[in-house]
Amino acid sequence: MTVTEKDLTNTCISTRYELSPVRNFIGDLSGLLASFADELIGAFFPRIISKKANIVITELVNNAIVNTADEHSKIVLETGIDRESLVIRVTNVAAPEQYEAVRSRIERISTSDDPRKLLAATIRERRKERLRGGLGLIRLAAENKFELSAMYDAPYLTVESRIALGGLL
Amino acid sequence: MKVLAYGEIMDGGASVFSSVAKRDGKKLIMTFSGVIRIDYPYKHLQGYIADLERLIPEENLESVEFDFRELSFCNSNGFYIIMDITELIIAQVDGPVFVKRLEDDDWQQETLPILLNVDEPDIGERVVFEDLPEI
Repeated sequence: MTVTEKDLTNTCISTRYELSPVRNFIGDLSGLLASFADELIGAFFPRIISKKANIVITELVNNAIVNTADEHSKIVLETGIDRESLVIRVTNVAAPEQYEAVRSRIERISTSDDPRKLLAATIRERRKERLRGGLGLIRLAAENKFELSAMYDAPYLTVESRIALGGLL
Repeated sequence: MKVLAYGEIMDGGASVFSSVAKRDGKKLIMTFSGVIRIDYPYKHLQGYIADLERLIPEENLESVEFDFRELSFCNSNGFYIIMDITELIIAQVDGPVFVKRLEDDDWQQETLPILLNVDEPDIGERVVFEDLPEI
């Protein structure tokens, strides 16, 4: 029986990684997890989708590592893909004010009339000061077209990125 | 074809990103290959940028070709270094700017035009994108 390219996109994949302690993540962990997800998803789905997973995982895991409130805690990466959607969730320990900052940033992105203009303005503004970070979430919405949301179950902050795959398959 | 300058990022003992500036007649060809994942790429590429600043004005070039097809990943910290390099070249070389990019790549389709500042009319009218499949 021949398996066609279309058949391959009926594949369902779900993965969950829980890694701790954060203080031990001295290498490029976000790159490692993102590159593997890119390869795994790319084995079944078009590259334009696997590359989206690569960027989301890189940005969210990197944010989680850099912003964790407890270097002895864990981060959790959950990835799910089927014909309908690609969903990626990253969880880390955060203070309530960190959650509020993330929630507020996501709300600003979600209510923006033109996320691309917001991305352009933010890049230019942050470039003046050569500021690190601060672009990841906007990028995921403006560039990769993900819907973002944040949940807080103290002390764990979870950021979810979701995209419907209908138009991409 | 004459190589004018070369820059690279080393990470974990291996070259992960490279950029080459070559002269082909009156055209400057700049290639970008690999991945930009590290936090502070400027640290690795400041010598390359200094070389470009020094060498390009002496070359009397008439057009530029940026080829991004082999730059498979660029994190948000890499945006500024792409802007530093392309802004420098676009300012120093008059004439058309040809940009080869991947047709199925979000960052090259959506964000690269922002980094090249094509919303500025003086730049936008010089830039010509060519959308190509992966090599």
